[in-house]
Amino acid sequence: MQCPEALRVQAYFDGELDAVSAADVERHAEGCAECRALLGDLERMRTALRSELTDLRASPALRTRITAALNEESSARTAQRSTTARRTWRTPPFWVGAMSGIGASAVAAALVLLFFTPLLSKPLIDDLVGAHMRSLMPAHLIDVESTDKHTVKPWFAGHADVSPLVADFAAQGYRLIGGRADYLDHQRSAVVVYQHGGHVINVFSWAANGRSVPKSATRDGYHLLFWRVADLDYCAVSDTGWDELQGLVQLLTNLGSRDHPE
Amino acid sequence: MDDKRGRFEAQVLPHLDAAYRLARWLARSPADADDAVQEAILRAFRAFDALRGSDAKAWLLAIVRNCSSTARRREQRRAFEPLPEDGDAVAGEAMIATTPDPESAAVHRDDERTFDRLVASLSTEHREVLVLREIEDLDYREIATITNLPIGTVMSRLARARLALKARWLQELEAKPHAMP
Repeated sequence: MQCPEALRVQAYFDGELDAVSAADVERHAEGCAECRALLGDLERMRTALRSELTDLRASPALRTRITAALNEESSARTAQRSTTARRTWRTPPFWVGAMSGIGASAVAAALVLLFFTPLLSKPLIDDLVGAHMRSLMPAHLIDVESTDKHTVKPWFAGHADVSPLVADFAAQGYRLIGGRADYLDHQRSAVVVYQHGGHVINVFSWAANGRSVPKSATRDGYHLLFWRVADLDYCAVSDTGWDELQGLVQLLTNLGSRDHPE
Repeated sequence: MDDKRGRFEAQVLPHLDAAYRLARWLARSPADADDAVQEAILRAFRAFDALRGSDAKAWLLAIVRNCSSTARRREQRRAFEPLPEDGDAVAGEAMIATTPDPESAAVHRDDERTFDRLVASLSTEHREVLVLREIEDLDYREIATITNLPIGTVMSRLARARLALKARWLQELEAKPHAMP
Protein backbone atom coordinates (compact mmCIF):
# COMPACT_ATOMS: atom_id res chain seq x y z
CA MET A 1 0.00 0.00 0.00
CA GLN A 2 1.46 3.30 -1.05
CA CYS A 3 1.29 6.36 1.18
CA PRO A 4 -1.26 8.82 -0.26
CA GLU A 5 1.38 11.54 -0.05
CA ALA A 6 3.72 9.70 -2.46
CA LEU A 7 2.87 11.88 -5.47
CA ARG A 8 3.45 15.03 -3.47
CA VAL A 9 6.71 13.65 -2.17
CA GLN A 10 7.77 13.03 -5.74
CA ALA A 11 6.76 16.58 -6.73
CA TYR A 12 8.80 17.84 -3.77
CA PHE A 13 11.81 15.82 -4.92
CA ASP A 14 11.41 17.27 -8.44
CA GLY A 15 11.33 20.82 -7.11
CA GLU A 16 7.76 21.44 -8.23
CA LEU A 17 6.32 22.61 -4.92
CA ASP A 18 6.12 26.10 -3.49
CA ALA A 19 7.86 26.77 -0.19
CA VAL A 20 4.77 26.21 1.95
CA SER A 21 3.88 22.83 0.42
CA ALA A 22 7.53 21.81 0.48
CA ALA A 23 7.73 22.47 4.22
CA ASP A 24 4.51 20.46 4.56
CA VAL A 25 6.03 17.48 2.79
CA GLU A 26 9.21 17.70 4.85
CA ARG A 27 7.17 17.58 8.04
CA HIS A 28 5.22 14.61 6.71
CA ALA A 29 8.36 12.71 5.71
CA GLU A 30 9.79 13.10 9.22
CA GLY A 31 6.96 10.96 10.51
CA CYS A 32 6.49 8.61 7.54
CA ALA A 33 9.12 5.94 7.04
CA GLU A 34 7.67 4.97 3.66
CA CYS A 35 8.09 8.46 2.24
CA ARG A 36 11.59 8.78 3.67
CA ALA A 37 12.47 5.55 1.89
CA LEU A 38 10.86 6.87 -1.29
CA LEU A 39 13.01 10.00 -1.17
CA GLY A 40 16.09 7.82 -0.76
CA ASP A 41 15.11 5.67 -3.76
CA LEU A 42 14.42 8.71 -5.93
CA GLU A 43 17.80 10.19 -5.06
CA ARG A 44 19.71 6.95 -5.71
CA MET A 45 17.99 6.39 -9.05
CA ARG A 46 18.59 9.96 -10.16
CA THR A 47 22.30 9.73 -9.27
CA ALA A 48 22.68 6.45 -11.13
CA LEU A 49 20.78 7.67 -14.20
CA ARG A 50 22.66 10.94 -14.42
CA SER A 51 26.05 9.32 -13.99
CA GLU A 52 25.43 6.65 -16.60
CA LEU A 53 23.17 8.13 -19.21
CA THR A 54 24.13 11.72 -19.91
CA ASP A 55 27.05 11.10 -22.23
CA LEU A 56 25.09 10.49 -25.44
CA ARG A 57 25.95 13.15 -28.05
CA ALA A 58 24.97 13.80 -31.63
CA SER A 59 27.83 12.44 -33.73
CA PRO A 60 29.99 14.74 -35.91
CA ALA A 61 28.59 12.86 -38.92
CA LEU A 62 25.03 13.74 -37.91
CA ARG A 63 26.02 17.39 -37.39
CA THR A 64 27.51 17.49 -40.86
CA ARG A 65 24.40 15.94 -42.37
CA ILE A 66 22.21 18.48 -40.62
CA THR A 67 24.30 21.44 -41.75
CA ALA A 68 24.11 20.18 -45.33
CA ALA A 69 20.33 19.67 -45.10
CA LEU A 70 19.88 23.17 -43.67
CA ASN A 71 22.00 24.67 -46.46
CA GLU A 72 19.85 22.93 -49.04
CA GLU A 73 16.67 24.02 -47.27
CA SER A 74 17.83 27.66 -47.06
CA SER A 75 18.66 27.87 -50.76
CA ALA A 76 15.40 26.09 -51.72
CA ARG A 77 13.46 28.62 -49.66
CA THR A 78 15.16 31.59 -51.29
CA ALA A 79 14.40 30.21 -54.74
CA GLN A 80 10.77 29.54 -53.79
CA ARG A 81 10.32 33.04 -52.39
CA SER A 82 11.46 34.69 -55.61
CA THR A 83 9.10 32.65 -57.82
CA THR A 84 6.17 33.42 -55.51
CA ALA A 85 7.02 37.11 -55.70
CA ARG A 86 7.11 37.04 -59.51
CA ARG A 87 3.80 35.21 -59.75
CA THR A 88 2.03 37.69 -57.48
CA TRP A 89 3.40 40.56 -59.56
CA ARG A 90 2.16 39.16 -62.81
CA THR A 91 -1.41 38.38 -61.72
CA PRO A 92 -3.57 41.51 -61.48
CA PRO A 93 -6.01 41.63 -58.57
CA PHE A 94 -9.33 40.03 -59.57
CA TRP A 95 -11.35 43.23 -59.07
CA VAL A 96 -9.36 45.06 -61.75
CA GLY A 97 -10.85 42.61 -64.25
CA ALA A 98 -14.29 42.92 -62.67
CA MET A 99 -14.22 46.72 -62.76
CA SER A 100 -12.89 47.08 -66.30
CA GLY A 101 -16.06 45.74 -67.93
CA ILE A 102 -18.49 47.74 -65.84
CA GLY A 103 -19.15 51.41 -66.33
CA ALA A 104 -22.00 52.20 -64.01
CA SER A 105 -20.80 53.97 -60.92
CA ALA A 106 -23.59 52.54 -58.79
CA VAL A 107 -22.40 49.06 -59.56
CA ALA A 108 -18.85 50.14 -58.82
CA ALA A 109 -19.93 51.54 -55.48
CA ALA A 110 -21.73 48.33 -54.67
CA LEU A 111 -18.61 46.41 -55.61
CA VAL A 112 -16.53 48.59 -53.33
CA LEU A 113 -18.90 47.82 -50.47
CA LEU A 114 -19.00 44.14 -51.29
CA PHE A 115 -15.37 43.55 -51.94
CA PHE A 116 -13.37 46.21 -50.15
CA THR A 117 -14.49 45.38 -46.63
CA PRO A 118 -13.21 41.82 -46.97
CA LEU A 119 -10.07 43.09 -48.69
CA LEU A 120 -9.30 45.43 -45.82
CA SER A 121 -9.70 42.68 -43.27
CA LYS A 122 -7.83 40.16 -45.38
CA PRO A 123 -4.50 40.45 -43.53
CA LEU A 124 -6.33 40.01 -40.25
CA ILE A 125 -8.03 36.85 -41.51
CA ASP A 126 -4.71 35.57 -42.79
CA ASP A 127 -3.14 36.30 -39.42
CA LEU A 128 -5.94 34.54 -37.57
CA VAL A 129 -5.87 31.45 -39.76
CA GLY A 130 -2.07 31.42 -39.59
CA ALA A 131 -2.18 31.65 -35.81
CA HIS A 132 -4.79 28.90 -35.66
CA MET A 133 -2.71 26.59 -37.87
CA ARG A 134 0.43 27.32 -35.85
CA SER A 135 -1.45 26.49 -32.68
CA LEU A 136 -2.17 23.01 -34.02
CA MET A 137 1.51 22.23 -34.29
CA PRO A 138 3.01 20.23 -31.46
CA ALA A 139 3.51 22.17 -28.24
CA HIS A 140 1.90 25.35 -29.51
CA LEU A 141 -1.71 24.99 -28.56
CA ILE A 142 -1.64 25.96 -24.94
CA ASP A 143 0.52 28.14 -22.72
CA VAL A 144 -1.59 27.66 -19.64
CA GLU A 145 -3.31 24.34 -19.42
CA SER A 146 -6.45 24.29 -17.35
CA THR A 147 -10.13 23.51 -17.47
CA ASP A 148 -10.66 26.11 -14.76
CA LYS A 149 -11.54 29.62 -15.85
CA HIS A 150 -10.17 30.92 -12.57
CA THR A 151 -6.75 29.70 -13.64
CA VAL A 152 -6.89 30.77 -17.26
CA LYS A 153 -8.27 34.28 -16.81
CA PRO A 154 -5.67 35.52 -14.30
CA TRP A 155 -2.92 34.05 -16.46
CA PHE A 156 -3.84 36.45 -19.25
CA ALA A 157 -3.24 39.39 -16.92
CA GLY A 158 0.50 38.82 -17.13
CA HIS A 159 0.72 37.54 -20.70
CA ALA A 160 -1.77 39.35 -22.92
CA ASP A 161 -2.94 42.91 -23.41
CA VAL A 162 -6.61 42.15 -22.93
CA SER A 163 -8.75 40.25 -20.46
CA PRO A 164 -11.34 38.26 -22.41
CA LEU A 165 -14.38 36.29 -21.30
CA VAL A 166 -13.35 32.83 -20.16
CA ALA A 167 -15.81 30.08 -19.36
CA ASP A 168 -16.02 26.34 -19.57
CA PHE A 169 -18.94 24.88 -21.52
CA ALA A 170 -18.09 21.22 -21.05
CA ALA A 171 -21.74 20.47 -20.34
CA GLN A 172 -22.65 21.86 -23.76
CA GLY A 173 -19.82 19.97 -25.47
CA TYR A 174 -17.24 22.77 -25.57
CA ARG A 175 -14.53 21.90 -23.10
CA LEU A 176 -12.17 24.65 -21.98
CA ILE A 177 -8.64 23.25 -22.30
CA GLY A 178 -6.49 26.31 -21.73
CA GLY A 179 -5.18 29.64 -22.89
CA ARG A 180 -2.42 31.13 -24.94
CA ALA A 181 -1.07 34.53 -25.92
CA ASP A 182 -0.54 35.26 -29.62
CA TYR A 183 0.85 38.37 -31.26
CA LEU A 184 -1.92 39.71 -33.49
CA ASP A 185 -2.81 43.11 -34.89
CA HIS A 186 0.17 44.73 -33.11
CA GLN A 187 -0.86 43.52 -29.69
CA ARG A 188 -0.66 40.46 -27.49
CA SER A 189 -4.05 38.95 -28.04
CA ALA A 190 -5.55 36.46 -25.63
CA VAL A 191 -6.57 33.09 -27.03
CA VAL A 192 -8.93 30.79 -25.19
CA VAL A 193 -8.75 27.22 -26.42
CA TYR A 194 -11.74 24.90 -26.51
CA GLN A 195 -12.13 21.33 -27.56
CA HIS A 196 -15.26 20.20 -29.31
CA GLY A 197 -15.28 16.53 -30.22
CA GLY A 198 -12.04 16.00 -32.10
CA HIS A 199 -11.77 19.67 -33.09
CA VAL A 200 -9.86 22.51 -31.55
CA ILE A 201 -11.55 25.92 -31.46
CA ASN A 202 -9.33 28.93 -30.85
CA VAL A 203 -11.17 32.01 -29.59
CA PHE A 204 -8.98 35.05 -30.23
CA SER A 205 -9.65 38.39 -28.59
CA TRP A 206 -8.01 41.77 -28.98
CA ALA A 207 -8.77 45.39 -28.25
CA ALA A 208 -11.09 46.73 -30.95
CA ASN A 209 -9.23 49.51 -32.69
CA GLY A 210 -12.01 50.95 -34.81
CA ARG A 211 -11.16 48.72 -37.73
CA SER A 212 -14.22 47.00 -39.15
CA VAL A 213 -14.20 43.24 -39.06
CA PRO A 214 -16.34 40.90 -41.15
CA LYS A 215 -19.06 38.82 -39.54
CA SER A 216 -17.62 35.61 -40.81
CA ALA A 217 -15.08 34.25 -43.24
CA THR A 218 -13.74 30.99 -44.57
CA ARG A 219 -10.11 30.55 -45.47
CA ASP A 220 -8.22 27.37 -46.40
CA GLY A 221 -11.10 25.30 -45.07
CA TYR A 222 -11.14 27.03 -41.69
CA HIS A 223 -14.22 28.90 -40.53
CA LEU A 224 -13.99 32.23 -38.72
CA LEU A 225 -16.78 33.93 -36.78
CA PHE A 226 -16.34 37.46 -35.46
CA TRP A 227 -18.22 39.32 -32.76
CA ARG A 228 -17.69 42.16 -30.36
CA VAL A 229 -18.36 42.42 -26.64
CA ALA A 230 -17.75 45.76 -24.94
CA ASP A 231 -14.45 47.02 -26.40
CA LEU A 232 -13.03 43.64 -27.41
CA ASP A 233 -13.18 42.00 -30.80
CA TYR A 234 -13.48 38.24 -30.74
CA CYS A 235 -12.92 35.67 -33.43
CA ALA A 236 -13.54 31.93 -33.16
CA VAL A 237 -11.49 29.84 -35.61
CA SER A 238 -11.85 26.13 -36.27
CA ASP A 239 -12.14 23.44 -38.88
CA THR A 240 -15.38 22.37 -37.27
CA GLY A 241 -18.73 23.03 -39.03
CA TRP A 242 -20.51 26.38 -39.00
CA ASP A 243 -23.25 25.16 -36.68
CA GLU A 244 -20.79 23.83 -34.12
CA LEU A 245 -18.79 27.06 -34.24
CA GLN A 246 -21.96 29.11 -34.00
CA GLY A 247 -22.95 27.08 -30.92
CA LEU A 248 -19.87 28.16 -28.99
CA VAL A 249 -20.17 31.77 -30.15
CA GLN A 250 -23.79 31.81 -28.99
CA LEU A 251 -22.78 30.59 -25.52
CA LEU A 252 -20.03 33.20 -25.32
CA THR A 253 -22.19 36.09 -26.51
CA ASN A 254 -24.96 35.14 -24.07
CA LEU A 255 -22.38 35.23 -21.34
CA GLY A 256 -21.00 38.50 -22.63
CA SER A 257 -24.37 40.23 -22.58
CA ARG A 258 -24.86 39.08 -18.97
CA ASP A 259 -21.42 40.41 -17.97
CA HIS A 260 -21.83 43.66 -19.84
CA PRO A 261 -25.45 44.81 -19.57
CA GLU A 262 -26.13 47.39 -22.23
CA MET B 1 23.77 33.14 -44.25
CA ASP B 2 20.40 34.79 -43.80
CA ASP B 3 19.11 36.13 -40.55
CA LYS B 4 16.65 33.31 -39.93
CA ARG B 5 19.36 30.71 -40.27
CA GLY B 6 21.58 32.62 -37.86
CA ARG B 7 18.84 32.91 -35.25
CA PHE B 8 17.95 29.25 -35.71
CA GLU B 9 21.54 28.19 -35.12
CA ALA B 10 21.79 30.36 -32.04
CA GLN B 11 18.46 29.37 -30.46
CA VAL B 12 17.76 25.83 -31.55
CA LEU B 13 20.97 24.04 -32.48
CA PRO B 14 22.43 24.27 -28.94
CA HIS B 15 19.79 21.66 -28.08
CA LEU B 16 20.93 19.21 -30.71
CA ASP B 17 22.50 16.83 -28.18
CA ALA B 18 19.31 16.82 -26.12
CA ALA B 19 17.34 16.16 -29.31
CA TYR B 20 19.64 13.28 -30.13
CA ARG B 21 19.41 11.78 -26.65
CA LEU B 22 15.60 11.82 -26.73
CA ALA B 23 15.54 10.38 -30.24
CA ARG B 24 18.03 7.73 -29.20
CA TRP B 25 15.79 6.62 -26.35
CA LEU B 26 12.71 6.55 -28.54
CA ALA B 27 14.25 4.96 -31.64
CA ARG B 28 15.22 1.38 -32.18
CA SER B 29 18.69 2.01 -33.51
CA PRO B 30 21.26 4.82 -33.68
CA ALA B 31 20.58 5.14 -37.42
CA ASP B 32 16.85 5.64 -36.80
CA ALA B 33 17.70 8.22 -34.15
CA ASP B 34 19.93 10.11 -36.60
CA ASP B 35 17.16 10.14 -39.20
CA ALA B 36 14.54 11.31 -36.71
CA VAL B 37 16.81 14.12 -35.48
CA GLN B 38 17.63 15.31 -38.98
CA GLU B 39 13.97 15.35 -39.95
CA ALA B 40 13.06 17.12 -36.72
CA ILE B 41 15.69 19.84 -37.26
CA LEU B 42 14.44 20.46 -40.78
CA ARG B 43 10.83 20.66 -39.63
CA ALA B 44 11.88 22.95 -36.79
CA PHE B 45 13.67 25.20 -39.26
CA ARG B 46 10.62 25.41 -41.51
CA ALA B 47 8.38 26.21 -38.56
CA PHE B 48 10.92 28.42 -36.80
CA ASP B 49 8.96 31.63 -37.36
CA ALA B 50 6.19 30.13 -35.25
CA LEU B 51 8.45 29.63 -32.23
CA ARG B 52 7.08 32.13 -29.78
CA GLY B 53 9.47 33.54 -27.23
CA SER B 54 11.22 31.35 -24.81
CA ASP B 55 11.39 27.66 -24.74
CA ALA B 56 13.32 26.44 -27.76
CA LYS B 57 14.41 23.23 -26.07
CA ALA B 58 10.93 21.96 -25.20
CA TRP B 59 9.70 23.05 -28.61
CA LEU B 60 12.44 21.15 -30.43
CA LEU B 61 12.01 18.04 -28.27
CA ALA B 62 8.28 18.00 -29.03
CA ILE B 63 9.12 17.92 -32.73
CA VAL B 64 11.71 15.20 -32.17
CA ARG B 65 9.15 13.16 -30.30
CA ASN B 66 6.69 13.54 -33.14
CA CYS B 67 9.24 12.52 -35.76
CA SER B 68 10.25 9.53 -33.67
CA SER B 69 6.73 8.29 -33.19
CA THR B 70 5.97 8.78 -36.88
CA ALA B 71 9.01 6.69 -37.72
CA ARG B 72 8.00 4.05 -35.20
CA ARG B 73 4.49 3.88 -36.60
CA ARG B 74 5.86 3.54 -40.09
CA GLU B 75 8.01 0.69 -38.95
CA GLN B 76 5.18 -0.99 -37.11
CA ARG B 77 3.07 -0.85 -40.25
CA ARG B 78 5.83 -2.57 -42.13
CA ALA B 79 6.50 -5.16 -39.46
CA PHE B 80 2.97 -5.95 -38.37
CA GLU B 81 -0.49 -5.80 -39.76
CA PRO B 82 -1.64 -2.29 -40.66
CA LEU B 83 -2.63 -0.13 -37.73
CA PRO B 84 -5.91 1.75 -37.79
CA GLU B 85 -5.44 5.33 -38.97
CA ASP B 86 -4.77 7.56 -36.02
CA GLY B 87 -7.53 10.00 -36.88
CA ASP B 88 -8.12 10.86 -33.29
CA ALA B 89 -5.33 13.35 -32.81
CA VAL B 90 -6.56 14.25 -29.35
CA ALA B 91 -5.63 10.85 -28.00
CA GLY B 92 -1.94 11.56 -28.47
CA GLU B 93 -1.29 8.97 -25.84
CA ALA B 94 -2.60 6.18 -27.99
CA MET B 95 0.08 6.59 -30.59
CA ILE B 96 2.89 5.73 -28.22
CA ALA B 97 1.06 3.20 -26.14
CA THR B 98 1.47 0.26 -28.47
CA THR B 99 5.20 0.03 -29.06
CA PRO B 100 6.08 -3.64 -29.09
CA ASP B 101 8.91 -5.39 -27.28
CA PRO B 102 11.01 -2.60 -25.83
CA GLU B 103 13.50 -5.29 -24.88
CA SER B 104 14.78 -5.47 -28.42
CA ALA B 105 16.16 -1.96 -28.10
CA ALA B 106 18.20 -3.10 -25.15
CA VAL B 107 19.96 -5.73 -27.20
CA HIS B 108 21.82 -3.02 -29.06
CA ARG B 109 23.15 -1.46 -25.92
CA ASP B 110 26.25 -2.01 -23.93
CA ASP B 111 25.74 -4.84 -21.51
CA GLU B 112 28.02 -3.37 -18.90
CA ARG B 113 25.77 -0.40 -18.29
CA THR B 114 23.03 -1.54 -15.99
CA PHE B 115 20.85 1.57 -16.21
CA ASP B 116 21.08 1.72 -19.96
CA ARG B 117 19.53 -1.71 -20.07
CA LEU B 118 17.03 -1.05 -17.31
CA VAL B 119 15.73 2.15 -18.91
CA ALA B 120 15.63 0.49 -22.31
CA SER B 121 13.46 -2.27 -20.88
CA LEU B 122 10.77 0.20 -19.75
CA SER B 123 7.76 0.91 -21.94
CA THR B 124 8.19 3.84 -24.34
CA GLU B 125 5.81 6.03 -22.39
CA HIS B 126 7.62 5.40 -19.12
CA ARG B 127 11.03 5.77 -20.70
CA GLU B 128 10.15 9.06 -22.28
CA VAL B 129 8.96 10.89 -19.14
CA LEU B 130 11.84 9.47 -17.13
CA VAL B 131 14.46 10.59 -19.63
CA LEU B 132 12.93 14.05 -20.00
CA ARG B 133 12.85 14.49 -16.22
CA GLU B 134 16.08 12.87 -15.08
CA ILE B 135 18.43 13.27 -18.01
CA GLU B 136 17.19 16.48 -19.63
CA ASP B 137 16.17 17.97 -16.28
CA LEU B 138 12.92 19.42 -17.61
CA ASP B 139 10.10 20.43 -15.28
CA TYR B 140 6.60 18.93 -15.31
CA ARG B 141 5.18 21.72 -17.40
CA GLU B 142 7.81 21.34 -20.11
CA ILE B 143 7.33 17.58 -20.13
CA ALA B 144 3.57 18.09 -20.43
CA THR B 145 4.15 20.37 -23.40
CA ILE B 146 6.46 17.93 -25.13
CA THR B 147 4.35 14.83 -24.56
CA ASN B 148 1.05 16.62 -25.11
CA LEU B 149 -0.28 15.30 -21.80
CA PRO B 150 -1.94 17.05 -18.87
CA ILE B 151 0.47 17.79 -16.01
CA GLY B 152 -1.40 15.40 -13.72
CA THR B 153 -0.82 12.57 -16.16
CA VAL B 154 2.86 13.49 -16.38
CA MET B 155 3.11 13.23 -12.60
CA SER B 156 1.41 9.89 -12.30
CA ARG B 157 3.21 8.46 -15.30
CA LEU B 158 6.54 9.58 -13.90
CA ALA B 159 5.70 7.92 -10.58
CA ARG B 160 4.84 4.66 -12.34
CA ALA B 161 7.97 4.85 -14.47
CA ARG B 162 10.09 5.26 -11.35
CA LEU B 163 8.37 2.34 -9.64
CA ALA B 164 8.94 0.18 -12.72
CA LEU B 165 12.60 1.19 -12.85
CA LYS B 166 13.04 0.44 -9.17
CA ALA B 167 11.44 -2.97 -9.54
CA ARG B 168 13.78 -3.83 -12.40
CA TRP B 169 16.74 -2.57 -10.45
CA LEU B 170 15.82 -4.75 -7.47
CA GLN B 171 15.52 -7.79 -9.77
CA GLU B 172 18.95 -6.98 -11.13
CA LEU B 173 20.41 -6.74 -7.63
CA GLU B 174 18.87 -10.05 -6.61
CA ALA B 175 20.26 -11.73 -9.69
CA LYS B 176 23.72 -10.31 -9.02
CA PRO B 177 23.99 -9.89 -5.25
CA HIS B 178 27.65 -8.89 -5.45
CA ALA B 179 26.66 -5.80 -7.41
CA MET B 180 24.83 -4.37 -4.39
CA PRO B 181 25.72 -0.66 -4.13
